[in-house]
Amino acid sequence: MHIQLQQVVPIPLRDRFAQRQSDIWNAHVTFAEGEWIKIKAPSGTGKTTLIHILYKLRSDYEGAVLWGNENLKGIQPASLAQLRQQSVSIIFQDLRLFDHLTARENIELNRVLQQPFYESNKIDEMAELLNVQYILDQRAGLCSYGEQQRIAIIRALVQPFTWLLMDEPFSHLDKANTARATSLIAAECATRKAGFILTDLDEDDHFNYSKHLQL
Amino acid sequence: MLNNLLKKLIKSGSGRIRFVMAIAGLSIALALILSAVQLQANYDELLHSKTNQDSIANFLVINKQVTAANTGSTTLSNKEIDDLKQQPFVEAVGVLTPSRFKVSASGGQHIPFYTELFFESVPNDFLDVQSKDWKWDDNSQFIPMIVPNTFLDMYNFGFATSQDLPQLSQQLVMSLPIQVNITGPQGVVQYYARVVGFSDRITSVLVPQQFMDWANAKFGTTQQAQPSRVVIRTNDPGNPRLVSYLKEHSLSTDADKTRFSKYRQVVNMVVNVSGVIGAVMFLFALLIFTLFIQLTIASSKEDIALLVTLGAAPKQLYQFLMKQFFPVNILIVVIVLLIIAVLQFFAKQYLSGQHIFISAYPSLFTFIAAFIILIVLWLVNRITIKKYISANA
Repeated sequence: MHIQLQQVVPIPLRDRFAQRQSDIWNAHVTFAEGEWIKIKAPSGTGKTTLIHILYKLRSDYEGAVLWGNENLKGIQPASLAQLRQQSVSIIFQDLRLFDHLTARENIELNRVLQQPFYESNKIDEMAELLNVQYILDQRAGLCSYGEQQRIAIIRALVQPFTWLLMDEPFSHLDKANTARATSLIAAECATRKAGFILTDLDEDDHFNYSKHLQL
Repeated sequence: MLNNLLKKLIKSGSGRIRFVMAIAGLSIALALILSAVQLQANYDELLHSKTNQDSIANFLVINKQVTAANTGSTTLSNKEIDDLKQQPFVEAVGVLTPSRFKVSASGGQHIPFYTELFFESVPNDFLDVQSKDWKWDDNSQFIPMIVPNTFLDMYNFGFATSQDLPQLSQQLVMSLPIQVNITGPQGVVQYYARVVGFSDRITSVLVPQQFMDWANAKFGTTQQAQPSRVVIRTNDPGNPRLVSYLKEHSLSTDADKTRFSKYRQVVNMVVNVSGVIGAVMFLFALLIFTLFIQLTIASSKEDIALLVTLGAAPKQLYQFLMKQFFPVNILIVVIVLLIIAVLQFFAKQYLSGQHIFISAYPSLFTFIAAFIILIVLWLVNRITIKKYISANA
């Protein structure tokens, strides 16, 4: 499923973009299926806004976003849920875990929200890869940000998807942990032949990107 | 698994007292409504079922009240009879045809008595006496008569004892030949008559309709006379509308037979009051229950929003919440039905001791009412949950 952005301009940021060149805002952009896309975005250029628009958490923009042939603005709640269960997974910048559920329950919830893509032992496998196996049964609210971020990554990877949206996914991780996380994400995307859109502040070489864009 | 996780997220613990109140209110309301239905069903059963049917009670002899103003003119006009026929509580009207000739009776040689007499006749459907002798044609040896039971009682327990005369059994009276003298235009003609039955229903000396028609044609001295009494068949002599109709038209009947009217009004009132209170309580309980659902959803508002963000479908949330709230409703209805079944069983035990027979089981109407209420509850649950999910998603 490809993603199209047709002259998308977020209304609250409209005036700021008038003076600046952007690869995405107010442009016609197509992300082909399976592309690994890096979007570099300095602070205040609407990085999180873009992710939220793509995930339909907000609709205060001009232009249109199409998932396949479906315009996000007219999508029904049931189809949106279907899209989020089967086609799009997300790692939020602000993590968004259920604080009073354990780390494992947070991940498990996203696993069983649809027909499970993986067996539940995959959670332990991934947790071990990311070095968080020992906090799985701890309440998420009590985990450090670094641990929470890795839980959020695992949560995103246990569901089926063709696109993975990542908003500064390694902001709380050190180099070694970032490397582990990137290799896990790369492997999971490869298994599904899935594409991803990663936004970050700076240049990086975490992945073998197929496209670099400037917000 | 998903449901277990959702249960952890969407806690209904926050409004436990409200929940208990909602359930208690709903239970009481349901108990009131369903027992009102059951009471009504029991009462209807008492009125209409075969075992309880009092054959006398369903037939009423109606005539005008005799007052100082209308003595001598108490006949019922055709218009009045037609109007009576049209009332919903009247199933059939039988006109008591009066004789238009003079009759006297005597005991012949056997019993020394003589009395002036009159005859009336009524269609056979309105009689409470079954007798193979109740027929008449030109070749009949005697005229069959039905006399009121009260006549014989009056004689046996009043007249005979005070006058030192022998008491008579029904069998004896029925075996006596009675000589009947009918005075016609051509003089007196003698017939033999026999009592073939005693009526509890109609206080008159009855002869078969065929004989009456024949005799009126043959001996009648006056023109077609209007009847002054009619028998009505009604499905419910206790119907208050019947009583008020009779009152309005200055008609009277056996007060004893319409006494049910008063009981009926009391039962109606009890049923209505119970039903109305039940309905009002039901509304309030529904309101509390709705508020409880609303509160539960509102208190988990953020978690629900995040669930939707992660991809939880409105349908999944709806199904989960429905599973949380609706089974309690089913449970309440089942428990209330069980309680009513138990009460009904004991009521039957108690009442059969009083020779009043009601069913040992709750009526079909009670189950239908319970089912309808369950549908209403389901709809209210569904609408509330859908509304607040879409409001919070």
